[in-house]
Amino acid sequence: MTIHAPAGLGAPPDRVQAPEEGRRRVPEGPVKVVHAFWMAGMSCDGCSIAATGATNPKVEDLLAGIIPGLPKVVLHHPVLAEEVGEDFIHPFKLAEEGKLDAPYVCIYEGSIADERIAAEHGGYFSAMGMQAMEDSDEEEGGTPFSTAERMGRMAPGAAAVIAIGTCATWGGIPAAAGNPTGAMSLMDFLGKDYRSALGLPVINIPGCAPIGDNFTETVAAILLFLQGIGPLPEFDELGRPAWLFEETVHRGCTRAGYYEEGIFAENFGDKECLVEVGCWGPVVNCNIVSRGAQSHMGGCMAAGGPCIGCTMPGFPDKFAPFYTAPPGSAVSSTASRTLGFGIRRLRALSNHDRNREVRWDAVAGGEVPSGWGEIEKPGLLDKTMHFFYEKLQFSGNKRKPGRDDSRKYFADMPPRAEGMQAPRDADETAERG
Amino acid sequence: MCFKNLPVEFDSEGRPYLRDDVRDPYGTERSPDLNGGSISTLSRDQIEDLLARNGHIQQKNFDPVTRVAGALAFHSVVDLEERKVLESRSVATLFRGYEIIMMGRDPRDAIYITSRACGVCGGTHSGTAALATEMAIGIRPPPMGIVLRNMLSVLEYLLDLPLHLFMLAGPDFSENIIRKTNPEVWERATRTEAPHANVHGYGTMGELMTDMNALTGSLYLEALGMTRVAKEAYALIGGKFPHPQTMVPGGVSATVSISTMQEVYLRLQQFFDYAKKCAAIYDDICDFFYEVNPRYRDVGRTPANLIDLGVWDDPEAYDATYENCNEWGEKRWATPGVIVDGRLVTTKLQNINLGMEEFIDHSFYEEWEGQTFKTDPLGAPLSPYHPWNKETKPRPQAPNWREKYTWSTSPRWDRMPMDAECTARMWTTAAAQLMPENPYIEPTGHSLKLLLPAGRLPEMELEWKIPDVWNAFERNRGRAYCVAYTALVGLNTWHQGMELMKAGRTDVSAEYKVPKGQRLGVGFWGAGRGYVSHHMMLDDGVVTNYQIITPSTINASPRDPWGTPGMYEIAALNTPILENSPADKFQGIDIQRSIRSFDPCMPCTTHIHTDQGIVTREVNTCACGADD
Repeated sequence: MTIHAPAGLGAPPDRVQAPEEGRRRVPEGPVKVVHAFWMAGMSCDGCSIAATGATNPKVEDLLAGIIPGLPKVVLHHPVLAEEVGEDFIHPFKLAEEGKLDAPYVCIYEGSIADERIAAEHGGYFSAMGMQAMEDSDEEEGGTPFSTAERMGRMAPGAAAVIAIGTCATWGGIPAAAGNPTGAMSLMDFLGKDYRSALGLPVINIPGCAPIGDNFTETVAAILLFLQGIGPLPEFDELGRPAWLFEETVHRGCTRAGYYEEGIFAENFGDKECLVEVGCWGPVVNCNIVSRGAQSHMGGCMAAGGPCIGCTMPGFPDKFAPFYTAPPGSAVSSTASRTLGFGIRRLRALSNHDRNREVRWDAVAGGEVPSGWGEIEKPGLLDKTMHFFYEKLQFSGNKRKPGRDDSRKYFADMPPRAEGMQAPRDADETAERG
Repeated sequence: MCFKNLPVEFDSEGRPYLRDDVRDPYGTERSPDLNGGSISTLSRDQIEDLLARNGHIQQKNFDPVTRVAGALAFHSVVDLEERKVLESRSVATLFRGYEIIMMGRDPRDAIYITSRACGVCGGTHSGTAALATEMAIGIRPPPMGIVLRNMLSVLEYLLDLPLHLFMLAGPDFSENIIRKTNPEVWERATRTEAPHANVHGYGTMGELMTDMNALTGSLYLEALGMTRVAKEAYALIGGKFPHPQTMVPGGVSATVSISTMQEVYLRLQQFFDYAKKCAAIYDDICDFFYEVNPRYRDVGRTPANLIDLGVWDDPEAYDATYENCNEWGEKRWATPGVIVDGRLVTTKLQNINLGMEEFIDHSFYEEWEGQTFKTDPLGAPLSPYHPWNKETKPRPQAPNWREKYTWSTSPRWDRMPMDAECTARMWTTAAAQLMPENPYIEPTGHSLKLLLPAGRLPEMELEWKIPDVWNAFERNRGRAYCVAYTALVGLNTWHQGMELMKAGRTDVSAEYKVPKGQRLGVGFWGAGRGYVSHHMMLDDGVVTNYQIITPSTINASPRDPWGTPGMYEIAALNTPILENSPADKFQGIDIQRSIRSFDPCMPCTTHIHTDQGIVTREVNTCACGADD
């Protein structure tokens, strides 16, 4: 067998060699390099921190271009970039002027201030300070040049514009009631008519902070589609990746079963459904519990945190005050309590029965040989219920419940020796006889 | 006693009172005594005159400073002949108005809202808001709630420290940067043996520096991996990161089982060996630079004025009251304290609180009227500039070096600029020797001994010593040792949690009602990078004032009413230009190192914004103004 690897790795030449010309390879697609321009407005940088946690794929693997089929991503990020100074800013200018030699996407983190408010006083809320001072005489101040303006110029030429995190997607906390800055989302800033070079409106990946994997997975899905490898990624009417945000977080919640049976946490730290201590999960589009927050670990309700709707356009004010039950839960949780009360008891019966080996009932007369504790034998009521339950369960099924005498498969087998499990064999014979 | 500049003294029982012989006790006419740490600065007129007359004097702007969390604009004037910095200005360029958004809200909103002040230390803000809320409404969390909060902070710092050491500041000591700025240093590194090769595995300093390269170096990639390990453990308790979902007034809402405890432990455990490696690497880096050129000891040098509120509460001592804050504060795993000129002057949270003032003379805010509180809840005197009295009144306006130039404010303690640091918590803990008895960490008065259990590397006792000079290198070295300190606090905390589980004391939160009337609260805590306080005022269950002070507000502060610069500004002014690149390729690496050593985290400063520009622009300026 020949191992194909780049030449020059120092392995014996007869074992390792460059692949032959024209040899079939992993499908690569037409795009070799994609530039990603990361800009931040009124942000806490939490989205950047979340993105560095992603593992599906990892940011550093996208940047290294080591995933077959995915183009190498050249990231221009204020924290991660290697270049500084003019070397760093140059590609932004090229992209803006349409002179970049590869397609690009723009990623925006943070909300956008209404700079008109600040400009009335000759100042700014969110700008490059030095630039503001140098644009005109120092004592007079200058024109702030915000990332939002830069974004406005780069957006039309971008293959896609991705808003990451709830500030960029819906305004988030800086846009909360009482805010002095007039903060807004990227889609509000760019307007309804905005389309990218590929004809896409702003793609929104909400969450405060978002799950890193939701971001890198969406980027990878778009790239795989562009390469002709992956299916068309679907987006909902608000530009969210549909496969990530179409379900409410409650549907995938590890505690949803408690809700169904009408059992609710009364105190923080309880393991049951959190609706009555302030969880909005049943009406929030999010996947954090099913996906996990980091490397498939954590997730708000899985860890015990009630959902406050941080992925939603109505966040935070439509979910405040926090730690109080959503008013709607008065209706829905009362209903689930009522119905759940009955269901829970029936399930407990079935669960109890299914915690018994068939052999214990068939052979051992209902006795459980556990050294851990005394387990009650099924009473008459249990037996009657399960008699009918099993009729239903196995109706139309050839296999019948119960346990056969294993010895019937071995016709010439001598009868069991006296003494060895005799009492139980006797039971079995008696029952089956 | 501990105050030199504020007219506050102490009676025979140690209670602070205001001297009655001082007219206008909190007036700003008198210049404070800076304990020999005074900084001479040139006036703006002098600077402009120098710029006009000398071609070798240049304005050097870092706009924004790169590889910091968030971004920071920094303006300096550099004399390239004398190799020194003549002027430095730190500029925070974003305002989001979190303190204003909090006004009129239910106090229970504070935890989730203020968490969003910072995306690196969001957990710290939510926890600090919880402490402020608990004090204001009177709730004492159960021990397990406190232990889990402590663990969340440990894990957050264990994300923050590798991020700083190898992804933000680390590349300043990498082959890629040093080759450009100081080829002679790189050449020497390639033939200098690394003293701690047995721990980190690098034979020469050159090999070590190659692996510190941004994005490609294996130390960079390893650190990125370690931040994920810390995030995993964090998410298991906090639900998610950086804004946890399980912080509640009165404790946490995390549901913790044996699985949780073991999953967290097996992630914490990975930091024991890593801590040994971090300390070995930064010991070698610091000692190598000092040996190459002793003047590196002046890079980022500032007076040793450090402040910390302590962190990691004693689960049996913390009762959320201001009345007992001195007692429960001193029982923390990190002792609260203020260091002035290298000497510990107090370990009492009340004194630290009383000495804090926030000035806005050079910031884009308006003065507020009046003084709501003359005293704290114990009757001790409060300054009109104290956070409980301060109001946030933003006033965007044209920047002006003589007047207002930043969205950051100027917090001062006893009217002196302070350095808020994670090393500050090691320094105060080492000096005070009040830390609770434990098997792993021992404060000696001049050092902290840190006993790391065996892993793949053998058991090791590291010793972080209080440095004799306070500069950029010692800040970084301190952070490297802080990995060990933090991980060992985590180990102590984990054992406390297991003991509580054994005893069946697993309640994680306490019930409460929001009371009527006027209530004051303050949260004293710390981020990975140091001091964080939230001051809260409630009136009939509604927030009527909310003030946040963060480490980077303290460090990135502009000049104060007496013209004393903030710590970044001082650090840059003291920095010699040791860079050895051609004038047209001047990077300002020494200034960059001095600022990055503080681990600037601008998101929570005011909310600085990161623009496209990791721009290091050089501006030649003539006297009539700026042009570029």
